[in-house]
Amino acid sequence: MATTFPFRLITPTGIVYEGPVEQAVAIGALGEFGILAEHADYITAIAPGMLTLYTGGAIADEYLLSGGLAEVKDGSMTILALDAEPSTAVDTAAAASEIRAAEEKIAGMSSYDPAYAEADQALRLARARENVAQLRRAAH
Amino acid sequence: MATLKAIRRRISSVKSTQQITRAMKLVAASRLRRAQEALLNARPYHEALKRVSDSLLLSAPEVTAPAENAKPAILMVVAASDRGLCGGYNSNLLRMAEETARSARARGIEVKFFAVGRKALDHLRRTGQPIEAERINNAPRLATVGLARDIAARILSDWRTGAIVEAGVVYNSFHSALSQRPTYEKLLPVEEPETAGQPAARTEYLIEPSAAELVPVVLRSYLEAAVLHALLEAEASEHGARMTAMDAATNNAVEMISRLTLEMNRARQATITKELMDIVGGAEALRG
Repeated sequence: MATTFPFRLITPTGIVYEGPVEQAVAIGALGEFGILAEHADYITAIAPGMLTLYTGGAIADEYLLSGGLAEVKDGSMTILALDAEPSTAVDTAAAASEIRAAEEKIAGMSSYDPAYAEADQALRLARARENVAQLRRAAH
Repeated sequence: MATLKAIRRRISSVKSTQQITRAMKLVAASRLRRAQEALLNARPYHEALKRVSDSLLLSAPEVTAPAENAKPAILMVVAASDRGLCGGYNSNLLRMAEETARSARARGIEVKFFAVGRKALDHLRRTGQPIEAERINNAPRLATVGLARDIAARILSDWRTGAIVEAGVVYNSFHSALSQRPTYEKLLPVEEPETAGQPAARTEYLIEPSAAELVPVVLRSYLEAAVLHALLEAEASEHGARMTAMDAATNNAVEMISRLTLEMNRARQATITKELMDIVGGAEALRG
C-alpha cells in the first residue's frame, strides 16, 4: 500500500475533508499538480477546477473548488478555499447562465483592469461547473 | 386616576408587546446559536490562513505596500445591522466609528465609509459623512462569503489604485450574549503580528508560480477572511444584543403588567366603594 499523508480541505464554513490520502490532485496557477507523501514545503494558488483525492489506490472524493491556496508544510497538506462543492452536487443547469453573465462582464474589460482577474476566475469556475461531468474521474 | 377601561386597554397592549418581545428573544436566541456555531466553524480556516499569510505577506512588503502617491485616506467598513431593537448595539458601534474617524481626520487623513446594514447607512447619511459604498438588506444572513468577497474586492481596488493608505473595519466583537465590544480592526497595511518581542517563525516554502504572483492572491484571501471574520463576529453580536434587549423588554413588560393590574384592582374597588356610598346616601335621603 502506498504511503499516505495528512490532508485537510478547509472552508470558512468548516472542515470539509480531513484524513490521510495517498495523492491529492488539483489545478494550480501553472496547471494540474499532484501531491504525494513527503512533499517539500510548498505553497501555490488554486485555480477554479477539480480537486481529486486518492486513498487505497482509488478515488476517495472529488470537489469543485472556486480558487484558494494550497499549502504543504511538514508533510501535511492544507487547502484553503472559500467554497468547495462536492462534484456530485454541482448544479450544471445553472452553469450556462453563469457563463453568459461572466462572459458579458469580461467582454468590455481591459486585462489591466484590477477586476479582470476576478471576472476571469468567475468565468473559469462557471465553465468548470458546466463541464463537471467530464472533469470527474470517478465512475459514479 | 385613569378609568378602568383605559387601564384594561393598557394592560392588553402591554401584553401583546410582551408576546412580541418574547418571540423576538426566542428567535434571537436560536440565531445566536447558529451564528456562534458559524464563528466556531470558521476558526480552522482563519488559523490556517493566518499562518500562511503571516509568513508570505510580510516577506513581500513591495506588494503589500500602499500604491505610490496614494491619497492619505482611510476606507472604513462599518458593519452594523439592518434592524433595530437590539439595545445599544448600533449606537455604540457608530460612536466608535465616529471617534476613529475624528482622530484620523485630526491627523489630516480623509475618512470614507463603506456602510454595511441599514442602520449604518441611515446614520452616516444623516450626519453627512462621505459614503463610498453600501450594502443593506443583508437578511437572513450577514456573514456570507459573497458579501465578504465584495467588500474585500472594493478595499483591494481602492488600495491598488492609490485611493487609500489604510483600510479597516468597525464591528462589534462577540464576547458573550451580554457583552459585545465595538472594535476597529486595521486590515491594510498588513502589520507584523505581535509575538512578544520575538520574530514570528516563518517557513521557507517552495512557491509556485512565484512570490510576486502568489502574494496578491494571498493578500486577497487574507482580506476576504478578515472581512468574513468581522462579519461573523458582528452577526453573533447582533443576535446576542437583541436577545439581551428583548429579554429585558419582556421582564419590563411583566413588571408593568403587575403594576397596571394592581392599579386596575384599585380603580375597580374605588368604583364599587363609590357606588355603595351613592346607594347608602340615597337610602339615607329617602329615610330622612
